[in-house]
Amino acid sequence: MSESGTTRAGLPGDGNRVVASGRQLTWRELRTADLPSPVAVLAATGLDALAAARQHAVQGTELVLSTPSRVDAELRDELADAGFTVVRLDDGDVTVIEKGRQRAAEPERLWLLTSGSTGRPKRVGHTLDSLTTVRSTQEPRTWLCPYSPGTYAWWQVVTLSLTQPGQDLVVIEPSQLDNWAQIASEHGVTAASGTPTFWRQAIYRDSEALAKVPLRQITLGGEPVDQAILDQLRQIFPAARVSWIYASSELGASIVVHDGRAGFPQEWLDRSATDRPTISVDGDELVIRSPYHGAGLTGAVRTGDRVEIVDGRVHIVGRLNSDEINVGGSKISAGLVRHVLTAHPQVAWARVTSRKAPIVGRMVVAEVVLAPAADRAEVDEAALIKWSGDRLPDYGVPRRIRFLDEIPVKETLKSDV
Amino acid sequence: MAQVMKNQGKVLPDDDSADLRAIGFRSLDFSELALRVEDETGEELNFDAPGLRQIATVGDVLDFLLQLQSE
Repeated sequence: MSESGTTRAGLPGDGNRVVASGRQLTWRELRTADLPSPVAVLAATGLDALAAARQHAVQGTELVLSTPSRVDAELRDELADAGFTVVRLDDGDVTVIEKGRQRAAEPERLWLLTSGSTGRPKRVGHTLDSLTTVRSTQEPRTWLCPYSPGTYAWWQVVTLSLTQPGQDLVVIEPSQLDNWAQIASEHGVTAASGTPTFWRQAIYRDSEALAKVPLRQITLGGEPVDQAILDQLRQIFPAARVSWIYASSELGASIVVHDGRAGFPQEWLDRSATDRPTISVDGDELVIRSPYHGAGLTGAVRTGDRVEIVDGRVHIVGRLNSDEINVGGSKISAGLVRHVLTAHPQVAWARVTSRKAPIVGRMVVAEVVLAPAADRAEVDEAALIKWSGDRLPDYGVPRRIRFLDEIPVKETLKSDV
Repeated sequence: MAQVMKNQGKVLPDDDSADLRAIGFRSLDFSELALRVEDETGEELNFDAPGLRQIATVGDVLDFLLQLQSE
């Protein structure tokens, strides 16, 4: 029994199947740990993370959930100072790493750690209810959960399975990311959510294995979504619904697009409704007023994300502080240049940045991973410069292109494009 | 310099006295060339803007870059 005393007898999803850490069981069968409250749980495995999530759902434990690798000593101190007892949960065993400053728990409070604009993680307050954005009854599905425990995207998949019968879950550990498609096939995964980098990497590594996963719902989010990756997924999974979602820890899920196209219709801007987010653009910044926002946030929130409106579609192209590149007084969006590169049929992944240069101040440069079947003699720097030159103003053409052998991906499944 | 021109679908003339404007070698091309030199040498070049204004021919570009590297 937690200090909050808000124990629930069971959860709607308790009978759902959970596959994690090499085991297959139901939510109800997850081992319950003896956790203090407030607690910061560093889950060693995906199964431990699910156990902590269910414990929160049943007992209302005030919880921060993360992994040992995402919480350094400085952050552990910050959490302890904020009243969280920091524990490691490993195969159900609880080890206290740092005792939290004494304070009363806030029942049913969930905290998400975000990267924060300053680079130091900050806490955003939610509840299971505010993290649950899918409320309508869903057809039975088996969901893949490749995300790092405790992130917003992870909670999105987990709350769905916890709150709706028929939503099974297959958790992918970081060590399984290389062959998640085989695991997903074995367990009959029909729905998967991942970043564009995650999907690009899956196609790059083994598109045949990917095609064997019986996917009916594909979701992309967490990074700017371009047309090329949507088209590639549509080609591999012609019968699946391919959606992209704009969501953040602060604002929740704010934009969901199902029409298979990058960007969202410009008509969606400034449409006001009490039960859905209001999306606006101020200058070139995306501004959102959301009913699903984190605790303490009110009114319109400046997202820090930059938009470009092209042919009636609003594209979220990157972060405001890094997307716009000024080349000798002419401005170009790194995101749009990236979209041009990834639209090349032989390009599997691209990152576009700028580099200090004489006369013009900065120049556009890029890193590229070619598709496995690409003819490397044919698709060289000159070919990609020509491809870009045919589609971009001269100042937007990347003048130096470095070729990488692997798509870089972080624990967040992003590659900071 | 030939690679920069080639990437832009142009050809570098053999004549070092060729006028940069006439052959279509623009400021962006010069900037790219500087990045390529930096990548080759592993050192950041320190440019003198007044010196840059005196560059008009292919030979001027090559001399200027040689001079920068020797500084």
